[in-house]
Amino acid sequence: MNAPRTIAEYLKQLRAALKGADPALIQDALYDAEEHLRAELADNPQRSEADMLAHVVSTYGAPEEVADIYRDQEIKIQRALRPPPPPRRRSLPGRFFGVAADSRTWGALFYMLLALATGIFYFTWAVTGVSLSMGLSVLIIGIPFAILFLATVRALSLLEGRIVETMLGVRMPRRPLYPSNAGKSLSQRVGAIFTDVHTWTTLFYMVLMLPLGILYFTLTITLLSISLAFIGTPVLKALSVEDVIYLNCGIPHWLCDGNYWPLAVLTCIAGILLLFATLHMVRGLGKLHGAIAKGLLVRLSGEDG
Amino acid sequence: MEDNSSHLKKFQKELSAGTVSLVLLAVLGRSRQPMYGYQIAKRLEDMGEGVLAGKQSALYPVLRNLEGAGLLASEVEPSISGPPRRYYRITKQGREVLRDWVDAWSATRDSVDAVLQGEV
Repeated sequence: MNAPRTIAEYLKQLRAALKGADPALIQDALYDAEEHLRAELADNPQRSEADMLAHVVSTYGAPEEVADIYRDQEIKIQRALRPPPPPRRRSLPGRFFGVAADSRTWGALFYMLLALATGIFYFTWAVTGVSLSMGLSVLIIGIPFAILFLATVRALSLLEGRIVETMLGVRMPRRPLYPSNAGKSLSQRVGAIFTDVHTWTTLFYMVLMLPLGILYFTLTITLLSISLAFIGTPVLKALSVEDVIYLNCGIPHWLCDGNYWPLAVLTCIAGILLLFATLHMVRGLGKLHGAIAKGLLVRLSGEDG
Repeated sequence: MEDNSSHLKKFQKELSAGTVSLVLLAVLGRSRQPMYGYQIAKRLEDMGEGVLAGKQSALYPVLRNLEGAGLLASEVEPSISGPPRRYYRITKQGREVLRDWVDAWSATRDSVDAVLQGEV
């Protein structure tokens, strides 16, 4: 590969060298490199861009070297930050009940419950912003408003990425896309925001979060309450038999009558099984949602910035 | 000869892997103002080869990790003349950790020196 002569060329080579790596990692690496290169250029205004890059290759590193360093670092960080993977269990019951020992399950469970709140917020924000932008577009403040709104969309995209990474364990960007505005006129900059596919996929994600959030929340809460209620039946029955509480029940006679204990115990066992099945479902949904978030919130590595 | 230099390179890499976090924390602990990545890289460059055997690009992921661990805090400031810059400063926890690290480093250095000078 020949030596890069412009910042854009350097970044392109770095992107190529990182090909196949996690898109989130690529976004972070490109952000760091661009910040460093632009700082170097601003610091030495008398030097030409090509001279500066020749110098940078020896200090900051050539694109391939930088790519290696980031790949290396990523492996180390993942090992240090990630919770240790749960021990692999061979037996079928071990695999079934082992889901409770996986920290990802509990993160996903919390995310499913939180998704309703964040979903409502994202949806409201996106729909309000889009309608106001369109409505105000006939006025002079329409354009600045739309730009401001899209800037908040980008910030929320990064924030949601952090939430997804913390709770679902999917690697998401830690840095935003670098605002590469150098050498562009104002109208080009504004145009870049509107023509960036990433902006629109993020908006789509925000709208999508409402139905997804409702689905996740409802499924999780319903299944959790059913399993907990099932698990509690022997207690309920014992209290009813001892006349501590009075159950005025018409349909499930066995719950009130004294001699249907086996059924109550069976219900309890079914409840425990259902609880663990729910945890499996939650972990699966978490994985699925992580993939959705990554697909819509992280720019694909192949795209040019 | 070629073989020896690759050994040296590997050893330098291993050394810097352990010390670079300490050095970054110390630089930010001593500085009165928040600093951005390029500034830190330049300051280390002035100190000479020894501090940072590798390339400067290795600094940024480490800075981010220290921030993730709560030892540093950062904010982006748009500048009028240049590009937007991310300024890092040390947190209270960072200062406490730095003190522990400095103690650990001194202890390690003393014992390594003792071995090298044949006192053991």
